[in-house]
Amino acid sequence: MNIQETLKQLEDALRKDLEGVKTIEALQDIKAKYLGKKAELSLLMRHMKDLPNNEKPAFGQTINQAKQAFAKTIEAQRNRIEEALLNKKLEKETIDVTMTSPDFSQGTAHLLNQIIDEIEDLFIGMGYLVKEGPEVESDERNFEMLNLPKNHPARDMQDSFYVSEDTLLRTHTSPVQVRTMLEYGGQKPVKIICPGKVYRRDDDDATHSHQFMQIEGLVVDQNTSMSDLKGTLLAIAQTMFGKDRQIRLRPSYFPFTEPSVEVDVTCSKCDGEGCAMCKQTGYIEILGAGMVHDNVLKMSGYDPEIYQGFAFGVGVERLAMLKYGIDDIRHFYINDLRFNKQFK
Amino acid sequence: MKVSINWLKTYIDKPLETMQLDELFTTKSQEVESYQALVNATDLVVGHVKVCERHPDADKLSVCDVDVGSNVLQIICGAPNVKQGQFVIVALPGAELPGGLKIKKSTIRGVESSGMICSLIELGIESKYHYETGIHVIKDSVKAGEDALSALGFKDHVLALDLTPNRGDLLSVLGVAYDVAAMLDLPVEEKTFHVKETSTLNPMDISTDTEDCLSYYGRIIDNLTIKESPSWMKARLIGAGVRPINNVVDITNYVMIELGQPLHAFDFDLLGSEKIVVRNAKKNETFLTLDDKTRSLTEEDIVITNGEKAVALGGVMGGAETEVTEKTTSILLESAVFNNEKIRKTSHRLDLRSESSMRFERGVDPVRTKKALDMATSLFIDYANATVRKGISYFDNTSHSPKPLELSLSKINSVLGSEYSLDYVSDILRRLGFEHTIKQDTYLIEVPSRRFDVLTYQDMIEEIGRISGYDTLPSTLPSTISVGKLTPYQQFKRRIRQSLTGLGLHEVITYALRDADSVYDYTRSNHIKAVSVMHPMTELRETLSLTPINGLLDVVRYNVSRKLDTVHIFEIGKHYQPSKETEVLGIAMQGIYHDYSWQTTPEMNFFTLKGIFEALLKRFSIENVYYEKVSLKNYHPHQTALIKHEDRVIGHIGKIHPEEAKRLDLKDVYVLDVDIEILYELSEPIKRYQPLGKYPSVSRDLAIVCDESILAQHLIDTIKSHTDSRLKQVRIFDYYVGEHIEEGKKSLALRLQFEDPQKTLETKDIDFVIERIVKALKTHHDAVLR
Ligand SMILES: [Zn+2]
Repeated sequence: MNIQETLKQLEDALRKDLEGVKTIEALQDIKAKYLGKKAELSLLMRHMKDLPNNEKPAFGQTINQAKQAFAKTIEAQRNRIEEALLNKKLEKETIDVTMTSPDFSQGTAHLLNQIIDEIEDLFIGMGYLVKEGPEVESDERNFEMLNLPKNHPARDMQDSFYVSEDTLLRTHTSPVQVRTMLEYGGQKPVKIICPGKVYRRDDDDATHSHQFMQIEGLVVDQNTSMSDLKGTLLAIAQTMFGKDRQIRLRPSYFPFTEPSVEVDVTCSKCDGEGCAMCKQTGYIEILGAGMVHDNVLKMSGYDPEIYQGFAFGVGVERLAMLKYGIDDIRHFYINDLRFNKQFK
Repeated sequence: MKVSINWLKTYIDKPLETMQLDELFTTKSQEVESYQALVNATDLVVGHVKVCERHPDADKLSVCDVDVGSNVLQIICGAPNVKQGQFVIVALPGAELPGGLKIKKSTIRGVESSGMICSLIELGIESKYHYETGIHVIKDSVKAGEDALSALGFKDHVLALDLTPNRGDLLSVLGVAYDVAAMLDLPVEEKTFHVKETSTLNPMDISTDTEDCLSYYGRIIDNLTIKESPSWMKARLIGAGVRPINNVVDITNYVMIELGQPLHAFDFDLLGSEKIVVRNAKKNETFLTLDDKTRSLTEEDIVITNGEKAVALGGVMGGAETEVTEKTTSILLESAVFNNEKIRKTSHRLDLRSESSMRFERGVDPVRTKKALDMATSLFIDYANATVRKGISYFDNTSHSPKPLELSLSKINSVLGSEYSLDYVSDILRRLGFEHTIKQDTYLIEVPSRRFDVLTYQDMIEEIGRISGYDTLPSTLPSTISVGKLTPYQQFKRRIRQSLTGLGLHEVITYALRDADSVYDYTRSNHIKAVSVMHPMTELRETLSLTPINGLLDVVRYNVSRKLDTVHIFEIGKHYQPSKETEVLGIAMQGIYHDYSWQTTPEMNFFTLKGIFEALLKRFSIENVYYEKVSLKNYHPHQTALIKHEDRVIGHIGKIHPEEAKRLDLKDVYVLDVDIEILYELSEPIKRYQPLGKYPSVSRDLAIVCDESILAQHLIDTIKSHTDSRLKQVRIFDYYVGEHIEEGKKSLALRLQFEDPQKTLETKDIDFVIERIVKALKTHHDAVLR
């Protein structure tokens, strides 16, 4: 039997032994059997000294090649065993990926504040500053400086909560406008919006609230016009109710503006055709506005010969109710979380 | 103001009902409350009851043969007042009445009925406008078969305007006519009234002692027959929302509504003199008004006297003693103008607000004062068979001339943002009936006395703008160039809200007004003063809150009562104190935070809320905030702390006392109230980039045992004060009391993290520091290594 045949037999035997080996330990034994010191392959090497010198290198090379091949075969089997073991281990880590996960839900900003943020951002983009002020105000800034002297009939329109003879819970955020104009000293243009809480003597029901949120805007400069007001209000309407909305100005009356207007937006439900939501008019009233009354400018230190301006005021609850079809203003203050969570 | 269209047409002879007046008023004048037919019914004719007999099978029904012009119908009528010979309103078969009622031929108890005899109620005329219970019997002269609505003056439309307080000029049919005329560019045809006087002289001597009466016209009218007014007048009054009474009352009302000038009639025989002196009331003067109430007057009230005693409360209400009654035959008819401020005060003080006082308050056209007297007088002649004495007694200190007002075209265009031409505006002024001349680009306008509401150039611009139509204005944006931004503090508030919602809390907004007793319930001080409103609408809304916690707990309770276990909420609210409002953050949490469902979920406790608060502190780089245990009313005595910074209290955090929570039907609730204005001051903006450490950080754990009473903060402070800036962080990662630990002691495991920017820290460097720390912990706290 020549060496080649012997090696072939050995290799066949190795492969046979390796079949069905599942553990590393068993593999070690086989490795020892075929590659160890006492292995047949090692014993074959001993015959080398009996060979003629010229045959020795070829014989040695043959044996070494066989050794390497055997080792490779064993290694391949080791990899297979290890992979199988790992797979078994991972299988034990199987989870039901459909099980419930922990609740990391985020909270929600209050809808009224979301709308205020949205309007603030709109106006900041148009170069306005956001001004805030106290809710307990002087009669002077809340009424008198807004062209509503004591006993003015229009004070009835805004029945108020007085905390003393001359102090009250502000009925609108207009006193912040007064404060700003006074702060500016009648010397520079005003371009502000004033969001905040206001109070009126209304019994709380589905459409009335003794406390509500208002955003007022004021622009005073040398050539601020009613057309500027119209464009600005259109921007609010389109931001809040969609870019296809149009607005309509109707004559109205407020003591602090002249001319005064009520502003309607085309109904988003029927697109102006008339439906139940807009009471078949195609329009929905959203806010009041006008050109600042000369008396207001004068009292706050602005010379009406030089300056003119516009102002508007919008109820945030009303916007929210119209935009989302909310039927009861009390939802905003009860804070049933099932309500709050709807507005993410 | 409700206006009959037929009435308007007496001034503008055009088919106004076809001209969409509602839309016109909405966009150019005043809000329209409604615009509809006075009576919404079809197929109504005048019927003449020829025969009226009892129904053979029903006592309460009558069988009538009614002549309706073209034929005679047999109609069954249930009204007790139906009688033979009456002229009545008949709804023919096929007629539709208000409320959708359709009239059909029918058989009632075996007798055929072809139509219905109507009452006013069935026509939709509310009972507040008449006393009638049965069918309406027509008293005017009519013919069977005539259109009944036309015959009664009910074939009309009514425009109901919701007037703004500045447009007192629209409180008359004539005023509304002028507005319609301006909007539609139509002429108004003013009426003139010719009064046929007798030769008997009017004896009245009329004068005033007060400037509060601006003018006073009086006539004596004799031989009055008091009776019902004609149907057309009643119909117009009903359209205007005024109840017809009798011809004397109706005529004064009718003239007031047409011209806006209130009138008053005194029973001349009861006046007691031939003299009228107007004066202010005297202090403590009392007066019996015609509603039989004795009124206490002030010196601001205006009284009409007969020279001796008051006979009317000028502009507000007549007196009981001179009231016109069924027996009255002669009257003194007054048409006057009073100071509107005084009328307002008197009518409000005495709660006597009427159609008259409202008109005096909002203004009357002085030109119409005498005109109204003449109009009423001629109506008395026509509809009360009266005679009139010769001459009018009067004084008049009002100005009848137009007021001049200057306004330039450039100002108009600048304010409106329009590009109107000189001629365009001139044409609008003409439509408004404002005489004017033009000097260069300035209009010199004569504002007629009927437009007493137009006082300033701004009022005039409004007139021009609205008649031209605001829809004609362009939409532009202000040309003022400015930078828009939030202040850093406003941004700070937004970021707090973003952080907290990111952490899973829901923002709420609650009412600031609360009941006075509860505002101190969850505050950290009882010494602060609260602000209360003087006349609360209810005790529940009397005092401004001193912490948002009250409102937050209301919200927790509301949601818990609706079976929601987890309520984590916050509000940015205010502490309202006298002349000081501080913005604060309030948080309330009940129920587990981050529910792991089937996996292990840590309990919600004090530290959950503290961790949320500290997440904010970290976000805004606020350092050196510490907590000091405190005992506060309604809070857990051992789980509540003041939040402080350098000895300044900036807030408090804690658990609501279990007893209090039980009272509120709540479980474990944790709350926080912190001053965000101070937090903002303490927040550090990122000034400069910090180079990242090149060398790795090293951490070392220390397990110590010390007295249970020693505060973690004190241990940490000691560690910090005995190391240097290489110590980056100390955290307690284990806490243990119980077995293997001496009673009264606790075991804490601390992890200290070190980093040196210059080099890799070696064991010996750390050992050196740790040794110092261990020594200090022993010395200061008797804490030993475990
Ligand atoms: Zn609609």
